This record gives sequence, C-alpha cells and structure tokens, in this order.
Amino acid sequence: MNEAIQIAIGGVLLGSIYAMLALGFSLVYRITGVINLSQGAFCVLAALTMYSLNVTFGMPLFFAALAAIAFTTAIGILIGAFTFVPGMTRLSNSNILMLTLGLLTMINGVMLLIWGSQPYSLPPFSGEAPVVLFGIRVPTQGLWIVGTTLVLILCLWLILFRTNLGKALRACAENPAAARLMGIDVKRMTLLSFGMSALIGAIGGVVVCPIISIEFVTGQEFTISGFIAVTIGGLQSFGGAILGGLALGVLTQMTAGYVSSMFSNGLALGLLLIMLLWRPNGLFAPALRKREDVREAARVQVGIVRLQGRQGWILAAIALLIAILVPHIVSYGMLSSLVITGILFLAVIGLDVLMGWAGQINLGQAGFMAIGGYSAAILVTRYDWTPIPSTLFGMALSLLCAIVLSLVVMRLRGLYLALATLAFGLMIDSMTVGLTEFTGGPSGIVGIPSFAIGSYVFATPTQMYYFVLALIVTIVLLLIGAMRSSFGRALQAVRTDQMAAAALGINVPVHKMAAFAISALLGSLSGSLYAFFFHYLSPEMVGSVRSFELVAMLIIGGEGTLVGSVLGVALLTLLPTIFQPLAAFKTFAEGVLLVFSFLYMPQGLFGTAVIRFNRWTHQAASRITPSVSAVNRGSV
Amino acid sequence: MTRKILEVASLTKVFGGLCAVENVSFDVDEGSITALIGPNGAGKTTMFNLITNVYQRSDGDVLFCDESICDLPANKIAGLGLVRTFQSARVFPGMTTLENVLTGAHLHMLAHPAQQMLWLPKATREERDLVAKADALLDLVNLLAFRDVAATDLPMGAQKLLEVVRALMAQPKLLLLDEPAAGLNDSETEEFAALICAVRNNGISVMVVEHNMSLVMGVADKVLVLDAGRLIAQGTPGDVQNNARVVEAYIGQEFSPQDGD
Repeated sequence: MNEAIQIAIGGVLLGSIYAMLALGFSLVYRITGVINLSQGAFCVLAALTMYSLNVTFGMPLFFAALAAIAFTTAIGILIGAFTFVPGMTRLSNSNILMLTLGLLTMINGVMLLIWGSQPYSLPPFSGEAPVVLFGIRVPTQGLWIVGTTLVLILCLWLILFRTNLGKALRACAENPAAARLMGIDVKRMTLLSFGMSALIGAIGGVVVCPIISIEFVTGQEFTISGFIAVTIGGLQSFGGAILGGLALGVLTQMTAGYVSSMFSNGLALGLLLIMLLWRPNGLFAPALRKREDVREAARVQVGIVRLQGRQGWILAAIALLIAILVPHIVSYGMLSSLVITGILFLAVIGLDVLMGWAGQINLGQAGFMAIGGYSAAILVTRYDWTPIPSTLFGMALSLLCAIVLSLVVMRLRGLYLALATLAFGLMIDSMTVGLTEFTGGPSGIVGIPSFAIGSYVFATPTQMYYFVLALIVTIVLLLIGAMRSSFGRALQAVRTDQMAAAALGINVPVHKMAAFAISALLGSLSGSLYAFFFHYLSPEMVGSVRSFELVAMLIIGGEGTLVGSVLGVALLTLLPTIFQPLAAFKTFAEGVLLVFSFLYMPQGLFGTAVIRFNRWTHQAASRITPSVSAVNRGSV
Repeated sequence: MTRKILEVASLTKVFGGLCAVENVSFDVDEGSITALIGPNGAGKTTMFNLITNVYQRSDGDVLFCDESICDLPANKIAGLGLVRTFQSARVFPGMTTLENVLTGAHLHMLAHPAQQMLWLPKATREERDLVAKADALLDLVNLLAFRDVAATDLPMGAQKLLEVVRALMAQPKLLLLDEPAAGLNDSETEEFAALICAVRNNGISVMVVEHNMSLVMGVADKVLVLDAGRLIAQGTPGDVQNNARVVEAYIGQEFSPQDGD
C-alpha cells in the first residue's frame, strides 16, 4: 500500500509537469487555434540554461532559476515574433503545426550544439531530505513542483478571466477577424500567448530539472507527453488540461512501477489514440464547438507549380541523363550518400502523395520505414527468406497497418490526424526498442545481407545506385500517370475542399485511404532497402526523428510535385557528407530550413525554381511573339 | 404528364429551438427550371443543404427519381445525378481553371486509376477527350482564355460560372444552383440566363436559389417562395408575382408586378 502511494506521488509530480505543459498547449490553442509543438523545447532550454548559470558560472540556484526563466521567455518572444506571428497570417493551421515542429527541431539543434547530447541534472531546491507527511515521504522538490503549478494556474485564471487583457485574448480565440475589427491587436495577442506558453514551459523546466535528468531531446518527450495530457483533458479547457496531465502522470508511473516502463509509453500512446477517436475534443470539451472556418479558409491558397508539357519532359530527360552519369564522376563515399538519398526519396514520394496531394499530414512515416526495415531484416537474417519476398511482406504488413490506421482515424482532420500519425510513429518506436527478442532492442540487427534479385546481388554502391534509380523512375512515372488524371485531381479536391469534392461524387474517405496506402507502401519499401543497404538496422535509424526529417525534406524540396522533394532529400543528406564539420549542425539546419521554407518559400526549392523558370520562358516567349498575347487579351 | 425528378415531402429542420425549415413539400418536374426565392434567412440554402444531406433533416423525406436520398452520403447523391453548387463559390484552390472543370467529370471516368498509372492508351485517350469537352464548355462561358490560370485568381463572378461548368461536367440529371448570378453584371446575367435555358434544353432539370428577380422571372418554369422556413406560394412566375401573400411577405413596396418583364 505504502509503495503504491509512493508511486502515486511520483505520478502526481510528473503529472504536474505534464499539466503545466498541457496548460501551455491549451493557452496557445485557445488564443490562436493552433498547437505549438515547440512548447517542450522551452522547458529544456530553461533547465539547461539554469544548469549552466548555476554550475558553470556559479550563480546561486534561485537567481539562476529566475534568470533562466527570463532568458527563455525572451527567446520565446523573439522566436514567436519572427516566425509564429508572421506564420499565423499566411499559413494554414496544419502548416503552422509543422512550423512549430520546425521550431522544436531548431531549438533542439541549438541545444545540441551548446550542451551536447549528455544528460544534466541539478540538486533539489531545498535539499535532498524528503519531508514526511502522514507517514509518507515526499521529496521537497515535489512540493516546489505542485506549489508552482498551483500558483501558475491561479495566475493564468486571473489574467484570462479577471482582466481586460484576458478578455481581449479570449476574443482572439473566438473570432480573430471580429476581434481585429474591435480594435484588438491580434498579432500582439498571438505573440503574447506564444510568450506566455514559453514562460510556462520555462517555469516547468526549471522546477522539474532536479527530479528528471534533462538532455537536448527531452524537449520532444515533454512536448509529446504534454500533448497527450491536453488531448485527454480537452484543448479547450484549463481544468481538463490539468486533470489530463495528472491522470497521465499517475497512469504512466503506475504502469512503469508495476509492469514496465516500455509498456507505459505504449499505454500513453494507446490512450491518446483512444481519446482521439472516442472524444477528439477531450473529456472536458465545452458544449460550444469552435468554428473552424473563420480562420482556415483564408489561408489554404496554394500556389500552382506546373511545368509545361514538353519542357517538363526535356528537363526530366536531362536530369535522368545526369543521374545516369553521376556514378562515374563522384567518389565512393559520395555515391553511398547518393544511394541513401534515393532510398529516402522513395519514402518522401509516398509522403508527398499523402501530404502534398491529398493534404493529410503524416508525422509517422518512419513508422512504415520501420515496419518495412524490420520485416526485411528479421525475415532475412532469422528465417532465411530472400530479400524480395521479405520486402513484399513488409509492404503487405505496412498496407495492413495503414488501412487499419486510416479506418481508425478516418474522421480526424488536420491537427488530430497529424497527432494520430505521430502517436502511431511513437508506438512503433517503442516497439522497436522494447521487443528486444525480435528487433534486437536499442542495439539493433546486424548482418543483413545486400539486396538481391534471384542470384544477382546488388553488393556495391554503384549496383545499388542504378537499382534505386530504376525503381524511382518507374514509381515516379506510375504516379505521374495517376496524378495527372482523375485520381490526382480527386486527391487535390479532397485536400482543399472536402465538401465540394463530395458534392461532385468523389468518395472522400476512399481517396484519403488510397493516398495513405500509397504512402505506407513506399515508406515500407524505402525502409527495407535502407536496411539492406546499411546491412544494419537500429531503432533510431527509423525513429520519429526520421519522420520529422522526412517531412522537412518534403517541405524544403516542394510538396505536391512528386519529384521536387528530391532537392530537399539531397540537401539534408548530402550537405553533412560534403562538409563533415557541419554534421553537428544537421538538426539545427533542418529546423531552420523547415521554418524558413514555410515562411518564405512555401512552394519549396523545386516550386520556386519552376515558377522562376516559367516566368523566364514566358518572358522569352512574349519577347519573340508579342502579338500572340495581344490577341489573347483581345479575345477575353 | 411529366415525371417528378425531385419530391420533397414535409421536410423539416430544427436548429436548437429554431425551426429553419418547417413542413415544406414541393416537386420538381423533369426538364424544368424551378426557382426557389425568399427574403434573407428564409431557409433557401438550408433547403439545399437538406436535399443534399449536408444537414441531417429533423423530419420528412426527399425522393430523387423515386428513391429516398435522405440518408445517403453526399458523394452517393452526386452519383445518382443530383449535383449542386455552393453559395460562396467553392472552386478548388491550387488547381487551374481547366483542372477544376475536369474534376467535375470524376464520376464518369471509365479508366481505372491503375490504367491511368500505366499510361494505357485507353486512359490517355479518355483524358484527351475530356480536356476537349472541358475546353468547349469553358469556351461557352467565355472562360477559355483563363484555362491555365489558378482558379482562385478569377473574379468572383467567373468563379461562380466555373462552378456551374464544373457541375455540368458531372452530367447531372438535376442541377442545384445556389445564387449563381450573385456578382454578375446585367449583361453577364443575361448570358447566364441563356446558359441555364440551354442546360434545360439539353434535358437537365435545374433548381436555382436566386435573388435576381429578372433572372428568376425570365427563365423559371415554376417559382417556389419560402418565408421564415415555410413555403408560402408556388406556381408560374406570373402567379407568384400576383400572389398577395408573396407581395406582402417578401416583395413588398420594392417590387411591383410590372418590373418582372
């Protein structure tokens, strides 16, 4: 009994942190209608700053904590002003979600550069000796945590419901356009909410640092846990956020204490999926549902990126010729990187069909890579299957998962779909790490042979290069065939206006599912080839970080173009190879490029290039035959 | 005796405590143009949303070609041949004008996506024929010059025309148009009236919600008048114009019978 109480207390402490994070999520959501995934990073930034101020610069703990909170909030406001606020005016809500994902990656990258990848921990604020209350030992830090959470909740409530500022903030939440007409500076309110969520995150990070060791990636875990908490409780309700946080904390601690910590992750994610399905608005959803059209409609404008028929084919032929010649020019190491580029490109093509064409966000693409990779690795090394059947088995398994998942998440859109796929990816993550007897656990599977067709083995990078190239050309041709006709048009219609699409007889769920299936199949294929090429597979090669990376590659390259994302894949894969010293900057660069692309280059590298090219050829054409355009104008 | 293509029977919709549509019954004859008019907030668009099952009805029934369509999903209803446009033009952003029109033909594609993937001659040929058909329709409404322009870059009036053309590509039996002439100037409205008549003469029944009286009175075979969710009159344009209840409830002082050419 005593043990259970101790565990429950641990759960409440952890839950308080989740509750704080959930509050931050809820605050930003209620004011801006979007989820801020960078929330967790501010926690870690504050904790690590406090560590440095205290240990390296010898500042007293209390002042170090205050300084760290102030510093983190300032950074948060700065980042918000230059990314989040301008993003709010020109991006759709799901793109903002990914913008904040970019911010999370970016801040993680900076922290990796400054603090490295080792864990840090600080002594408790008021000494190690626990306080004994009614015969139960409570760590003093726990009192700090619970106290801070209570004070925070009280302050937030007072600000939002007892001041004019709060009224203005809530007006922004209900209807930004009307709020603007009433003279409320919506931009400033957006910035304020972002800054407040950074502040909440910072306070949380500072008080929790003594009980959890913190490293640069902890931010991701905080974000995910906080998010699960707020989904359970309900994004629209502060009370729900707090209760959701506490419930999640106690539940995970109980499972970790009595079953295993690996199972507790799975349980949390399962809980998230169930909540998303059963009650997407959370346990404490308000009776009034938020109008979704107020803000969304104005920002789904997508640029059109098209190469004119013949030009497109000529450019493609030139590109293919270069691709065929490349192995004779580049070094051995470079060639390997090119093969990896090609293999990852396969996964990104799938992602493009789903995100760029059908408009459904997938933050768990690496989960399908993992299914494909591990199926291939396990079947080939343990059961003596040959590579092709094992790859096909992986694809079949992925297809099955995709169908089940899309049946389950069918009703979800945008935000919630993104989170369901994130949860799926994380679940696969915890399985690859946890099912040690199958997957080899964290150390992975070694001794995977090269890919082979019959007796022909693709042993060298050159052989593999041409094989992957042929595969890419085939798949791209097939998909272009589909995308240029009714299937592609239906997907685009589903992407931008589901109601109008259905009114034309398009079966929206079936098309979403088809796109998801294509995406899963290509992800799985990519994962299998990845394992065969590396002769080795470990969880982090196909983990959630990889999922985010794939999304970044797609956005940077250009979504909705099938081929454009190759530029993004190449950029993020080849640059670290070419400039070895820059490898440490990879995470940071990924985040920065993702944020930059969203804000300044929404069509991506490829789209921007195509638009420039079209303008250039158009100008060239009109210089030669000015009469044609004049005639056209006359006929209008 | 003409067939009834659409029969609405005692249709009722209650939002909370508000009765938006109350016990409304009417028929649409095959091959006719039926106009639905009424003051703002009378429930016209709600009626369309009930017919196409965007809103769940509270009571009553809707029969399309003698088949109840009240519980069918929107895409099945379109599949039966009942296609609608929206009050605020809903062209697909990110697609060109031509692509928007082609999307309308979704229901009638013979080639399977797999055949399209494999670039089979059958699929390519169909695609080419479809483009020719779309071009012809765009030419008809003077939008051909804009075929490769982003549809959202068109002015609002043109977007509404585009939406009608897109719906026509779906080869409907009955076309529901929700305020198609809003945003058109007088000469464009005349052209639009001619377009609707041409559509009807091709055997497609039309039901239209419209505020533009000259358009309604000029082309409609039958006019239905809604007021506060109730059907207060129906009949030929002449009947309705002379109906005392209609004049009182809706047309009032602003409109006298002589105006309706």
